[in-house]
Amino acid sequence: MTFLDRSQRQTPTGLTKLLHMNWALVVLLTAISAAGFLMLYSVADGSFDPWASRQMVRFGIGVVLMLAVGLVHIRFWRSVAPLIYVGGLLLLVFVDFFGTVGMGAQRWLDIGFMRLQPSEPMKVALVIVLALYYDWLPPEKVSRPQWLLPPIVLTLIPMGLVLMQPDLGTAILLAAGAAVVMFVAGVSIWYFAAAIGAGVGLVTLVMQSRGTAWQLLKDYQYRRIDTFLDPGQDPLGAGYNIIQSKIALGSGGLAGRGFMEGTQTRLNFLPEKHTDFIFTTLAEEFGFVGSVTLLGLYALVVIFALISALRNRDRFGALLTTGIAATFFFFFAVNMAMVMGLIPVVGVPLPLVSYGGSAMLVLLAAFGLIQSAHVHRPR
Amino acid sequence: MTPRRPLRPLARVFSARARGENPDDIEAEERAARLRARHRAERLKAEHRLLLLAATFVLAFGTVAARMSVLAASDPEEPRVTAAEQRIVAQRADIVDRNGAILATNLMTASLYAQPHEMVDRVAAAAGLARIFPDLDEAELLKQFSGKRKFLWVQRTMSPEQQQAVMDLGEPGLKFGPREMRLYPNGRLAAHILGGYGFGREGVHAAEVIGSAGVEREFDAFLRDPANGGQPLRLSIDLSVQAAVERVLAGGMQLMNAKGAAAVLMEARTGKIVAMASLPDFDPNQRPLPPTQGDPSDSPLFNRAAQGVYELGSTFKIFTVAQALETGIATPDTIVDTSGPLTWGRFRIRDFRNYGPFLTLSDVIVKSSNVGTARVAMELGAERQKAFLGSLGFFEPVPITLPEASKSKPLFPPRWSEISTMTISYGHGLAVTPLHLASGYASVVNGGLRVRPTLLADTPAPTDADRVISTETSRKIRQMLRAVVERGTATMADVEGYRVGGKTGTADKPKRTGGYSENKVISTFAAVFPADDPEYVLTVSLDEPEDRSGREPRRTAGWTAAPVAAEVIRRIAPLMNMRPLPKETPEDALTVRTGN
Repeated sequence: MTFLDRSQRQTPTGLTKLLHMNWALVVLLTAISAAGFLMLYSVADGSFDPWASRQMVRFGIGVVLMLAVGLVHIRFWRSVAPLIYVGGLLLLVFVDFFGTVGMGAQRWLDIGFMRLQPSEPMKVALVIVLALYYDWLPPEKVSRPQWLLPPIVLTLIPMGLVLMQPDLGTAILLAAGAAVVMFVAGVSIWYFAAAIGAGVGLVTLVMQSRGTAWQLLKDYQYRRIDTFLDPGQDPLGAGYNIIQSKIALGSGGLAGRGFMEGTQTRLNFLPEKHTDFIFTTLAEEFGFVGSVTLLGLYALVVIFALISALRNRDRFGALLTTGIAATFFFFFAVNMAMVMGLIPVVGVPLPLVSYGGSAMLVLLAAFGLIQSAHVHRPR
Repeated sequence: MTPRRPLRPLARVFSARARGENPDDIEAEERAARLRARHRAERLKAEHRLLLLAATFVLAFGTVAARMSVLAASDPEEPRVTAAEQRIVAQRADIVDRNGAILATNLMTASLYAQPHEMVDRVAAAAGLARIFPDLDEAELLKQFSGKRKFLWVQRTMSPEQQQAVMDLGEPGLKFGPREMRLYPNGRLAAHILGGYGFGREGVHAAEVIGSAGVEREFDAFLRDPANGGQPLRLSIDLSVQAAVERVLAGGMQLMNAKGAAAVLMEARTGKIVAMASLPDFDPNQRPLPPTQGDPSDSPLFNRAAQGVYELGSTFKIFTVAQALETGIATPDTIVDTSGPLTWGRFRIRDFRNYGPFLTLSDVIVKSSNVGTARVAMELGAERQKAFLGSLGFFEPVPITLPEASKSKPLFPPRWSEISTMTISYGHGLAVTPLHLASGYASVVNGGLRVRPTLLADTPAPTDADRVISTETSRKIRQMLRAVVERGTATMADVEGYRVGGKTGTADKPKRTGGYSENKVISTFAAVFPADDPEYVLTVSLDEPEDRSGREPRRTAGWTAAPVAAEVIRRIAPLMNMRPLPKETPEDALTVRTGN
């Protein structure tokens, strides 16, 4: 038996699994993270301290974590899926009661050496448990209402907990990730149409409720919506970020001002320049070319993941891969759209580029699951 | 849809029988074929869905990329002179203390900008600017001046000497704009109350000054509103008292080896804050950026007095006892069982020292018995305790006009169990800010009217509608607090002539990993003076104090916070025109008998 035969027909064992990983994904993720290091170095005025160096260490840990997760058989991950989900829920409950309050929201859990944001692992945990559910459910039952109930409940529990923090952005991302898994699992399109209709109705209701006794959102959330619709009306308050980031994007032009030359970000016009709004630094310093390149890298990650899902005959593996790819997609799409003023400002970081430990580790571990599904796919 | 194929087609069954084969094989074959067909259909559906998803993603990518190109093609905006700029209102009202002394005011300086296309000698200009402003880099400036931009900010504010030096360069491409900046003439004094400022919209002829924290932020709209006609914002702070409090507190913090300290001085009848200090502090003229690492609650920017929630320990016992007196379940002479330890489930409540099998209610406070207080709280019950603490405002942020305080919600158990009732009775399991504590004390000693702390000079005093306890209960509470200082845990807090009363509280700090620390405490002393008719309430809290003057390090509030509070009172009482009172006559003195 030649190596070729073996590689095509059998699931590899032991460390040879490493050879069969989806290395294209690893390379792409590294490239995106490297862009992040560069930007963090730049926003710190050409210093590895305080952000770039720590981000690099985290990336190193994250890659090892990804490969380690990838080496474990996908069967194992499937068997522990409910545990992961329940664990994620417990963390969320825990943070609601004991979390550290930062920036007006209770989102962090201090676990000694790092601060964990439990809503990050929850996004992945939800995708895993839904993939498990649809793997177990016979496909002809997928669209029946009574079988639609469990996944909806599974999604609503963590959404409720996240909304208590309160973190609207993450709650929406959770719902979107779940919806993609359900969509690919084959739930009838009419349900999605109905859900979108209900969503539009809800938005109308929310906007109607403003100023009445039963007002549904907090005032600051309404202000964000107003600012989104017209950033000019509150240029110094909530609209500030958006206007400044648009100026930054505009001042970047086609080729950018050059590395470490951005003025908007350099002169501290932009708060949160190393977290949620880091994309503006990149757009200003590397211009349209740089931002489209980063966008392309992100797109390639999603495409490679979807190809892997298409070629995977194991339903759990395919659903899991799709779900994680979608979560990743929503992550950066929402961030970029927010920075460019396409949608209101919600606190969503740019994955792998924004400074932040738990988001990066969780994402890389999730890509480990994609690797595991890829390596152990039925041949 | 194609008609279902039967599992056992009769014709094939017959022909199989004729051939002598097992007809069941046909059924198995048919089942397998059906399963395969179904799998194919499902797989096809899944693939279709995936491709549809991919198409949606591509569409989204396209939208983002299109938006990007639109933005990249848009003209870069410079802070150029526009019509909108004329509307920038630069006049910001002053902030003054209760006597009219300036806390924050404006200073006219100039901003410096460059228009490189009008420059005569770029090299000389860059070199000159780098000489005048040491934080500018010559090469960097030259590169910017040689670029395509027609407008550059060089400096936002500068001193008159620097402005003269720039004029002496004689470079026509360097221009000045008037720029008003905020000045805090007292430097670090009252830093946490004032907050700080930043520049908002910047134009050549003016720039907006925006409050970034503290009173500056809370009253930003008021301070900026031209309709107020430049009328200053008058705070209830007394500058000289604030200075004395900060000075003594800093000394006390150093002496007691504490890593932080907070003090609140409040008018007992009105809730007006006379001084509020938090250490370490900062200079609002150069408000530092929030730290990116470490515990934010250890940052100098953190207002421990209004923002930090702490378990404040035995200082809370007075509220339990006040309620016991108010409901009539006990009098100051009631004998309370203090035999310990008190066991409840897996919890054991014990006293710092064994005080014997019983004490009077007064002595429970004087000696600070956890066991006694917990037993009293059990008599009261969870519901009544919760209602009373709620009426003092311990479950919501302090209603004070500071943006930081309004975000600091007290921490209390979501399920108020019996053990919570007991521990909360002596100040564990409920975390509030020192500001909560001060207003709680003011409310129980001023005759029983709830005060709401305020930083504004013009605030009405509470009325009878705000009553939380009766005047009689309030009087008994004052006597107990005085006894604590006369012969209890806080003898070091006595200041001759001012009849200080108060209560100590030493609380173990919670560890980040859960549980409580062995040797890190927050020690607090809540003082009222003069005790027979309190005018002021003072709380002093020290974070991780350790008095190392004795053989063993001492951390309890009686040894650390109480003497610091005494020194504060000694210094500020004369500043506030308080006359030393004569020694207490027998009528003023405690009529409470000792218990044993």
